[in-house]
Amino acid sequence: MVIAFVRTIILYLLIIAGIRLMGKRQVGELEPSELVLALIIADLAAVPMQDFGIPLLTGIIPIFTLLAVTMIISVLTMKSVRFRALLCGRPSVIVENGRIHQREMKKNRFTVDELMEELRMKGITDLSTVKYAILETNGQISVLPYADQLPVTAGQMGRSPEEGGLPLIIINDGRVLDHNLKTRGLDRTWLDKRLDEHRVRHTEDVFLLTVDERNRVYLVAKEV
Amino acid sequence: MKRLWIALVLLGAVFTAVLWNGRALTGLTGELTGLLAQAGVQAGAGDWAGAGALTRRAQETWTARDGYLHIMLRHGDTDEIDTGFQETLAYLACRDEEEYAAANARLIARLERLSEAEQLTWNNILSAAAGNRCRRGPCAVWGDIW
Repeated sequence: MVIAFVRTIILYLLIIAGIRLMGKRQVGELEPSELVLALIIADLAAVPMQDFGIPLLTGIIPIFTLLAVTMIISVLTMKSVRFRALLCGRPSVIVENGRIHQREMKKNRFTVDELMEELRMKGITDLSTVKYAILETNGQISVLPYADQLPVTAGQMGRSPEEGGLPLIIINDGRVLDHNLKTRGLDRTWLDKRLDEHRVRHTEDVFLLTVDERNRVYLVAKEV
Repeated sequence: MKRLWIALVLLGAVFTAVLWNGRALTGLTGELTGLLAQAGVQAGAGDWAGAGALTRRAQETWTARDGYLHIMLRHGDTDEIDTGFQETLAYLACRDEEEYAAANARLIARLERLSEAEQLTWNNILSAAAGNRCRRGPCAVWGDIW
């Protein structure tokens, strides 16, 4: 049993490293090669985890091989449009200028029910308001409504609202993130002054503190 | 491009390592089957002591690489070879010619199959693998983990 325990930890860490190498995308947005990798890698790891009559390398070598091949494929798909089209396919325009391309739907085995479901999930119930609907290579649908169906923007109303900044986390659950502080061009002295302003004595008493590009502070103290 | 090179190097390293493992195993099993075949000849000529010495030498060569073999091979396969050696030595001690010959031939065949299974051949790629057998019996913890 101790063997299963140790092998499980080794293989689990290996899989996490592998998934991490795949990047930030969620499972639902994986390209075909990445999805296959995710499916296979779990199965490969499970076999030596459960059967310790076979060497651990029986799981590790295929996993490393898959990771290496996936990395090669991902670099090639980045560098070559043709290779990417071959591996991932091309996006299909299902609705163009309000007209449904039935042949494209048939080609992608995409039913009307699925189309309506995807549109509803995007908050669209009236197909006549859709100018373009594109079936992406990862199976998701991108929808572009007609311009008169879109919400009005400040620019269209001739207004110039203040630009929002990107808040950086400076204190995370009592821990000061010095590299973020440096990124904003700030230092601990500045931080101490802000804490004083909010009547907080120690950084450990702060649950969250963010600073945006205009040095606006958002602070949440820890609950007692 | 850096990622591509890392991946290619990793792939190359893994491929080289598994090929090297195959060659190393062929070398080892070749040496062992040679010793065992020689032992068979000597036993056939009535030199039981000589046959015993050669078989023990083969067993020691096998046992000396115990750790490596447990990491690289199925435990069931290594168990079979261990048992085969013990069986062969037991028949040698009894000077049971027929049983010894059969046990020796079985051991040689198992060693040959062991190295065959690690070779890069279409037969190995496409054919069904032998069934797994869980390892039983005492063993080094590290060998069990790996």
